[in-house]
Parts: sequence; structure tokens; C-alpha cells
Amino acid sequence: MLNLFKFLVIVLAGTALGFAVTYRVLQRGPVFDVVSAGPWKTVPKSGSLDSDPYARAIEARSAELPLGSAEGLTFIARTDSGGAPLSPRCDYAVSGSVPPTRYWTLTLLSPRGFLIDNPAKRFGFTSAELVRAADGTFAIRVGHQARSGNWLPLGKPQPFLLMLRLYDTLLDFGTAKADASAMPKIVKGRCA
Amino acid sequence: MNFFFRPFGLLLSLLGVAFVAAGVHLASILAMPEIAPRDAYARLAALAKPAQMTLLPAVLPGREMIPFEDPALAQAVCLYDLSNGPLHVHADIEDPGLLTLSFRTRDGRVFYSMTDQAALHGNIEVRIMTQPQLAAVEESDEDDENEPLQELRLVAPDMKGFVLVNALAAFPSERAEAETRAASISCSTETVARD
Repeated sequence: MLNLFKFLVIVLAGTALGFAVTYRVLQRGPVFDVVSAGPWKTVPKSGSLDSDPYARAIEARSAELPLGSAEGLTFIARTDSGGAPLSPRCDYAVSGSVPPTRYWTLTLLSPRGFLIDNPAKRFGFTSAELVRAADGTFAIRVGHQARSGNWLPLGKPQPFLLMLRLYDTLLDFGTAKADASAMPKIVKGRCA
Repeated sequence: MNFFFRPFGLLLSLLGVAFVAAGVHLASILAMPEIAPRDAYARLAALAKPAQMTLLPAVLPGREMIPFEDPALAQAVCLYDLSNGPLHVHADIEDPGLLTLSFRTRDGRVFYSMTDQAALHGNIEVRIMTQPQLAAVEESDEDDENEPLQELRLVAPDMKGFVLVNALAAFPSERAEAETRAASISCSTETVARD
């Protein structure tokens, strides 16, 4: 009787702990094969046949469909270039260089990957539609306050992330080392 | 009753808990692709007809089907089931806009991807088939050996899967054009002659 009770307690506690660990891991996002370049992170193998079981579980649960390797690369930034988490109370400037690619897009998303509604109905920029300086450089302003030029509005004061997609890029992180200087910088401006 | 409080017994119990936890954790991670109820395929299947290119609704707040998508893309999907025969995908590349294709398994993993840059003579011709279907086609090929192959033949890892097409609207005004570009790709099941 005592042994059966003990056995049940062990099995129940183990099951609960096992599910709790799974839940935590799925919440935290990819663990293996993450390539970082400054604040930007990418998992080049995501969505491919040789992605690891953890990445597969995360993708199956969120139902995301990562780009194929010939289509392009997706980078996610949850922090600014200084390493501080992106805050909905602050303004940010995204500028600098982007690795050579046919097109790129920058999109503002919620932490779970959904668009945040805003009155301007502006959710991102493509490399083609950006307003650029005479020398070809660009700056995208992220924040609540309307700005001239490339303004990416943050609709509601809620946590967000930035997604940079390089379409038809020559960049291959399978072989090359990620270089922070080749990626756009995210610089914090004024905070409310 | 004081088994749990004896040092050796406690250690053994903790080991048991850790062992069960590790098993449950690994099993749940491995099973997730099978048991996730609303995975990408289920969401797409609710909307798209099999073996037919279907334009997906534009990515708008509160109406996204798939997370981490780019609102600048027009997307179309073709669900396939190779048990009915190989799938033929054909695209005429006429304008210079970005077009990408990914060939995916039932669980959304990509087994091949390409962009419009891979077009030959303004054409993309792809046949997705199973290994036996490929063998059958190659056998009937032998008659016209001299003609170079004009199509890409892909062996799919599974019977079921889907083709996802992305067309970029580089400017918001190009959205209608991008949607036309994505939806214009044809996708159809071929019946193979059996003898």
C-alpha cells in the first residue's frame, strides 16, 4: 500500500515536472542553432528537414512557417543594440547597413508574431519604399509619436519585436560568421 | 511512513521523479508536431481546396492565419496529396517582382525552396512525386533521351504536403499585382498512365 502510494506520487510529480519543462521551453523559443548578429537573431535551419525536435515542437505549436533557405532569412530583434529589451515606452531608430539582398522588409510584431493595429495602418517597410537620404542611407523611427520620413508606429503601448526579412539573399549563415556591423542598429531614443 | 525522509529513500524518490520528468518532457516535445491541434496545415486546409492554388487573405491585424508573417507579401497555397498522382507546378515569370516558392511536408517543413531567379526561359516547371512515381516517369523518359529535361523533379518525403507561394508587393500600390502574380501559379494533380 505504502509502495503504491509512493510510486503514484513519484509518477505524478515527474509527469507534472516534465510538462512544466516542456511548457517553459516552448515559451522561451529556439535554443539550438541560434545565430546572433547584434540584437538580431536567426535560426537558419528553422523549418528545414534537419531542424531539431525542439524547433519543430515550437513551430508546430505556434503554426509559423519559416522561409525556405533559398527564399531568404528571417531575423528577430527583441532588444536594442545596447542589449536592453525593446520597450513600448521608448522611441527607437533603426538605421545602418543591411546585408546584400534583393529585397528586405522590416515589420513590427507582437512577441507572439502578430501585427499590432495602428491608425496609420503601417506595419512595416520594404527596402523599395523607404525614404532614403541622398547617400542611400536610411533611418526608420519606431514609436508612438508621428515622425516625418520612415515612421513605424507602435499602435498600442504593448511589448513588441522587430522582424527583418532578407529575401533572395546571398548571405549564408551556414558557412559565414554573423557580423553585427552588417546588420541595422537599433538605437534607443526618448522614453516616456 | 518515514520512507521519504530517509536520505537514501529521498534520493531514490527524487531520481524517480527526474527520470519520469525527463521521459514525459522528451515524449511531449517529440509528439508536439503530431498533436498540435491548430498547426499551419490545419489552418490552411480550412481555407484552401486540394491541388488548387488558393490566394490567402492579406496579413492584417487580428486576421493573421500564421504568425511571424510579412504583411508586404501576397501568399498563395496549394495542398497536395501524392496518392492521387504527381503534382505539377507551373509558373510563367513575366514581371521582375520577387516570387518565392517553398515545397513543404504536412508539418510545414521545407524540403525544397526557390525564387523566380531559378526560372528557365521565363518558366518554372516543377513535378513533385513519390519515389515509385519518379521511377515510373524515368522509365517512360527513355524514349526521348536526346531532349534535355525542362523540369525540376522533386521527390517528396511524405504523401501529403503543400506548396507556399510568396509574392512581394514592394510598394503598397503593388498589392493587387503581387496577388495576381501569386495566384497565377498553376498547381494540378496529374494522373499517371498505368499499364
